[in-house]
Amino acid sequence: MSLVAEAFVSQIAGKVPFIHVGNQVVSELGPIVQFVKAKGHSLSDGLDEVQKAEMKAYMELVNNMLLTAELYLQWCDEATVGEITHARYGSPYPWPLNHILAYQKQWEVKRKMKAIGWGNKTLDQVLEDVDQCCQALSQRLGTQPYFFNKQPTELDALVFGHLYTILTTRLTNDELSEKVKNYSNLLAFCRRIEQHYFEDHGRGRLS
Amino acid sequence: LLSGDPPRSPRSGPSPQGPRSCPRHVQFGSSPQSQPRSPSCPSPGPAAPSGVRGSTQPRCRDSPRPAWPAALFRCGGRLWMGRRPPSPEARCPAPRRPAASPHARSPASSGTSPGPQAGKMAAPMELFCWSGGWGLPSVDLDSLAVLTYARFTGAPLKVHKITNPWRSPSGTLPALQTSHGEVISVPHKIITHLRKEKYNADYDLSARQGADTLAFMSLLEEKLLPVLIHTFWIDTKNYVEVTRKWYAEAMPFPLNFFLPGRMQRQYMERLQLLCGEHRPEDEEELEKELYQEARECLTLLSQRLGSQKFFFGDAPASLDAFVFSYLVLLLQAKLPSGKLQAHLRGLHNLCAYCTHILSLYFPWDGAEVPAPRQTPAGPETEEEPYRRRNQILSVLAGLAAMVGYALLSGIVSIQRATPARVPGTQALGMAEEDEEE
Repeated sequence: MSLVAEAFVSQIAGKVPFIHVGNQVVSELGPIVQFVKAKGHSLSDGLDEVQKAEMKAYMELVNNMLLTAELYLQWCDEATVGEITHARYGSPYPWPLNHILAYQKQWEVKRKMKAIGWGNKTLDQVLEDVDQCCQALSQRLGTQPYFFNKQPTELDALVFGHLYTILTTRLTNDELSEKVKNYSNLLAFCRRIEQHYFEDHGRGRLS
Repeated sequence: LLSGDPPRSPRSGPSPQGPRSCPRHVQFGSSPQSQPRSPSCPSPGPAAPSGVRGSTQPRCRDSPRPAWPAALFRCGGRLWMGRRPPSPEARCPAPRRPAASPHARSPASSGTSPGPQAGKMAAPMELFCWSGGWGLPSVDLDSLAVLTYARFTGAPLKVHKITNPWRSPSGTLPALQTSHGEVISVPHKIITHLRKEKYNADYDLSARQGADTLAFMSLLEEKLLPVLIHTFWIDTKNYVEVTRKWYAEAMPFPLNFFLPGRMQRQYMERLQLLCGEHRPEDEEELEKELYQEARECLTLLSQRLGSQKFFFGDAPASLDAFVFSYLVLLLQAKLPSGKLQAHLRGLHNLCAYCTHILSLYFPWDGAEVPAPRQTPAGPETEEEPYRRRNQILSVLAGLAAMVGYALLSGIVSIQRATPARVPGTQALGMAEEDEEE
């Protein structure tokens, strides 16, 4: 999706991703999962209580660590901000609004980082945290095809989404994707899902 | 990231240690994935890996074990061999010898009873935290977590329970003053430091369990923490009747006037930033959703705990410290509007878990009378001089204000021209009389 289109879409829905069903718009992963569940399809039905607890916990871990790290990298790392994020975020707006809004968003994100204790972290520390998170995920995955053995669940979807994005988005420095690539089972996991579920789209960007 | 060092003998000092540590090595080596350990540092906690790698000081820390039930500590589990060449029986697992005196931490010379020799590390670590209330060792979430962890690992901390955050070395509570004088005030960092000092409650966890720890810590912080903050600090009834009351009574004059309010504002800001993505227009909706998620989180914790004594078997880990501190606060405080509390009370295994830990690790604190004022003699007499002094001060201040006003507004004037004349009102009075006549 081109930069402009993406920004445009996120403006309408407020948040990507979203699905449009009839005249309802449901956005973000959590509500979408609930919505689909209400329609009778759920991936985690086969799990017992303890596993469901673990699944939720790991989803929170991913949200907590990976998402925050991605946010940090996008908005608090000066190199990335200057080269990529500012331009991308401000692209649908005319000058000078693009600069103003970009700065405003950056300020907001920085404030949030400070509130959760990430304000004083250096890039290296953030990368260490990502490494920890990946290590945890890798250990949980082990040699299984999916996190809860044979069947994919919401956790698999979430992890795939994040890792795929990290692996395929070109940033100013590749350290983040390098961290992920250190874990071969996570790489294999992403490839497997990509091939299995997205193969009709043809191009495999994970090589 | 292994903040806790596994028993890699090259690391733990010179080789004479090797053979002696063997038995223990074997014991731990047997646990499946002891090598590629996952970090058990909780989430957005800064794991200070560089610090870990840099720490080459083979300190030997003997923690005071005799009081703790033996079941909780596997043989020699958390004792680390430093450079000291103790005699074999001092290392014997079962009897916790008083030969290893509780605060002996310096690398001892040869001899069975090292004694408190002043080595490099003379000062013990000191922990400053909020004092106890509501039947708990501390009323603050972070302080409680750190205290519990310290109790789990038997770290020899000197605990100062204070009610005035300005008296702590960093200005906030909890704060740990390490033996080198460095002050750490972020709870996760405090625990990391304790781990570095080889008081590691997560040592025996497998890799998978370490990963689970990270995950559940994230769950706690995302789902339960906002609601706890809301319950204690934002919910009006709770705040006024419980939280603010305790803090205002506990803090010394004049902090008790403005500090609770300031803390509330800080917590509110933190909460807003935590839940910042939600639009603020729908307060009620947001609140309901938050509480719903918190209830779910409690249920999940209950399911994960099952009927075990601790989350990872029979020995407590850092996850237990955090879960305990979150739950016990919710359980013990007498909250007027406690919807979450009611839900928690319904989860019996969690309640049993909390009482178990409380009775095991904080037996005497549990019997503490809540507010510090209630203990009869001591604090009263302490309060007396303050109160008298405050009274005198306020009377003097009042007098000074009155006199000052009188002087400035001309009701009373002091005439300096003729020192012989009687000063003050009499002079004026006479002048007026003269005028009237």
